[in-house]
Amino acid sequence: MTFKTLIGATALTLLIGSAARAETATLDLVEPIAEYKIYVTEKLDKLVEDTTAFTAAVKAGDVEKAKSLFAPTRLSYEAIEPIAELFSDLDVSIDSRADDYEKAEADPEFPGFHRIEYGLWDKKSTEGLTPVADKLLADVTELRKRINELTFPPEKVVGGAAVLMEEVAATKISGEEDRYSHTDLWDFRGNFDGAYKIVELVRPLIAEKEAEFLKTVDANFAKVDATLSKYKEGEGYVTYDKLTEEDRKVLATAVNTLAEDLSTLRGKLGLD
Amino acid sequence: MSAIKPNMLDGNRRNVLKGLGLAAFGCPFAAAASAHAETPPAHHMTDAPVANVASVNDKVPFHGRHQAGITTPRPANGMVASFDVLAETPEELEALFKTLTDRIAFLTQGGAPPELDPRLPPADSGIVGPVVRPDALTVTVSLGSSLFENRDWLKPLKPLRLSRMKKFKNDALDASLCHGDLTLQICANTQDTTIHALRDIIKNTARQLVLKWKQEGNVPVIATPPGAMAESARNFLGFRDGTANPDAGNDEMMEKVVWVGPERGEPEWALGGSYQLVRIIRNFVERWDRTPLKEQELIFGRTKTQGAPLDQRNGGEFAAPHYDDDPEGKLTPLDSHIRLAMPRTAKDQLTENLILRRPFNYSNGVTKSGQLDQGLLFICYQGDLEKGFITVQRRLDGEPLEEYIKPIGGGYFYTLPGVRDASDYLGSTLIAAVRKKTL
Repeated sequence: MTFKTLIGATALTLLIGSAARAETATLDLVEPIAEYKIYVTEKLDKLVEDTTAFTAAVKAGDVEKAKSLFAPTRLSYEAIEPIAELFSDLDVSIDSRADDYEKAEADPEFPGFHRIEYGLWDKKSTEGLTPVADKLLADVTELRKRINELTFPPEKVVGGAAVLMEEVAATKISGEEDRYSHTDLWDFRGNFDGAYKIVELVRPLIAEKEAEFLKTVDANFAKVDATLSKYKEGEGYVTYDKLTEEDRKVLATAVNTLAEDLSTLRGKLGLD
Repeated sequence: MSAIKPNMLDGNRRNVLKGLGLAAFGCPFAAAASAHAETPPAHHMTDAPVANVASVNDKVPFHGRHQAGITTPRPANGMVASFDVLAETPEELEALFKTLTDRIAFLTQGGAPPELDPRLPPADSGIVGPVVRPDALTVTVSLGSSLFENRDWLKPLKPLRLSRMKKFKNDALDASLCHGDLTLQICANTQDTTIHALRDIIKNTARQLVLKWKQEGNVPVIATPPGAMAESARNFLGFRDGTANPDAGNDEMMEKVVWVGPERGEPEWALGGSYQLVRIIRNFVERWDRTPLKEQELIFGRTKTQGAPLDQRNGGEFAAPHYDDDPEGKLTPLDSHIRLAMPRTAKDQLTENLILRRPFNYSNGVTKSGQLDQGLLFICYQGDLEKGFITVQRRLDGEPLEEYIKPIGGGYFYTLPGVRDASDYLGSTLIAAVRKKTL
């Protein structure tokens, strides 16, 4: 089934009685969203734990140890990135990149994971990183606290999966996120897991009507999995520069297709 | 010795106007448009400025023996987008070709995209409004050598003269602007229409195509004084470009110059196609503007204001130079651009090494050094790449113009034969040949 006919067929089902579905959609989503919140909470517990160890290594001046903890620590953060929009202030201070600052790496405002990454890989030193590490730990701890009180609007959660794929397509597939450490494949793992989690949660709601759609989406996630697994090393992944041009293309296409497909997920669930 | 008669050359230009006129009248929107007096009547076409002739209702037929966008009169805007193709099987490639056919047929002929539930992303970007008008759009699909070479089942079917573009002497090729498995040449009256078409195709082929590079360009619309002959557009060096182009309206000439026929020994599936060459050629315009006029003219071999050959300064753009009378290059230097490109020393050059040029000017932004990033998106078509562009470029290697230009990207591609009718699709002969081979 082509994308066009897929959309056509979906549009038809949605146009028939879409108003009635809209009301039930939100109700149907109560359980999946609650479950998603548990997932996020678990990821955040792990993030706080890992960040504590990571920042301790940074503050102790142990460059090698800090380097080895960098990518694994980020994994749980990248997995909850679909909903980063819900805590955008903290996302900026935890995960923004040098490009977001006027003086790039030299900008005193440049914070978070990537500021530390720059120090560890580029400067090969933890010099001046103590306040950055303290702030990072404070931020993730604050995030963990905040999540309990945070409302998860269903359309943001469901839409977040697509938004994250858009972000990967626009600014991650180029390898620019972890440009000093080249640990991008770890991030991808987290991103794809996090997006797939959302598909999994809503799957029962659309399994019957959207079997073909889910098949395509699953196939693309599987393609990503297969590609990533070629680059596994130990607990994680080799550096991004080892990715062949062929595989980069495969990933890029899978990501673009997932972005196209998942952009319809909200609509398919009858969410505005 | 002037084998190319002036009227042979300007035929192309007349044909541009004629072509646009015919296009406007061949389409269902035309009647409605002229009823609202938006389109000037046909008999004024030839003496009206091209700028006023172009209409959103200009429709270029999609079906035919050859793809549109080659001998089609060049509209004001053009773009080349190059993609990597993911298809690994003949079935996947066929599906891609069919999707491209569907999209191009719709976009070039116009219509209203389907309305979807507003909770879904819309079917169309909407950037040209709720109804897509043809706007003289053509989308021309060509294939790169890598598409064939990276697939065992496609390798034996590669066109004979298709290869990966190699560096010429003056080139500084940027890997991120070169080659590709498939190109789309998208041309239309307005830039919005070309961008709309590109976005539509990207949206509908996300599974199969990864965008590699693209370059947009345009040509100035010329306000021809009433009764005067249409002129060639100027490039960003201020000179007329395309003066000695063969007449795209002359079918016999196009068979010789552009289309691949049985006599060339190409695989049968490729008949009716053509070789497409794309070069992104940066112009160092600041430096050029600081070069004396006389030197500029000697470099090109033409006068700047009129475009006349230097041995006939008042002869106008379409006068043919007489190099026989100037063997030492006193009037037209032997290493001037036009003389190197076509020395006119043997009659066969006038047919053997002809190419059909379809270039656009580009203006991208500012380089890291604070200079303008401008140049020429050079596109040409020929039935034999070796005898066509490659031969001409070899003659040009080392020309004085090189100080002011730097080719940085592009590639060699094979333009697929046309789509015969509604039951046919782009690349159908190639897919059929693959199936025949694997049986």
